[in-house]
Amino acid sequence: MRDLDELLPLLRAGDADAFGRWLAGAEATMRDSLRSFAVVVDVEAVLQEALLRTWQIAPRVEADSKPNALLRVGIRIARNLAISERRRARSVSADDEAMDRALAADAPPAVAPADPALRRAIADCAGALPAQPARVLHARLESAGVEPDDALAERLGMRKNTFLQNFTRARKLLAECLARRGIDLRLELA
Amino acid sequence: MTPPRDPPIDAVTTAWRPRDAGGIRAHPAWFDLDDGGRLDAYETTRALRTVESALDPAGLSTTARAVLERVRRAR
Repeated sequence: MRDLDELLPLLRAGDADAFGRWLAGAEATMRDSLRSFAVVVDVEAVLQEALLRTWQIAPRVEADSKPNALLRVGIRIARNLAISERRRARSVSADDEAMDRALAADAPPAVAPADPALRRAIADCAGALPAQPARVLHARLESAGVEPDDALAERLGMRKNTFLQNFTRARKLLAECLARRGIDLRLELA
Repeated sequence: MTPPRDPPIDAVTTAWRPRDAGGIRAHPAWFDLDDGGRLDAYETTRALRTVESALDPAGLSTTARAVLERVRRAR
């Protein structure tokens, strides 16, 4: 298991590139820690806010006897944010059943190494996409969450629904291509 | 043929999220999904972020790049 705390000195110095490397290792684990909240909050929004707050608090986090101290802090921030968001959105009490289930499912902060063979297979399959699904996939990749789909669709000269249909097609073709290579992305990530 | 549920799910698999003074907010289309759709959206997004990381030279998903963009803009 990789210990991302090796980046703490750089994070304390405000090194955003180092935070990028930390994100590359930590994002999947933090997202997984929110899985049990997926029905009650928009995990993507909670995760992004939690990652921003983790960056802000990083200079004050000290490594301890266990690996990934900052990741453990980040997971705690994310889960507390999910609970707050649920309360804010629905004004429900803390003993809400879904929230109890979420709190009971505490994920250990393990960081899996990147798999070069999986990366190659994904790149090959993405390269084999038909033109329109490929354009839409790349538009989202290039935008990196900065622009909404309406803006991307307009730039590509598509209606938003056409854009989304092409995106759905892209991810299904990717999944089929990977399946032919014996790769089930959801299982790979489990 | 694409099942009718897929485009609404893919509307929320983007890393784009609105933001206000209180922070990053849920995607408006997320509220239109039922429980099954929300779980599907979570699992689909999770798989997509792996695809994105694999296609990025620095191994960053669009979530990570969106967060980094906000970090750099705030400095």
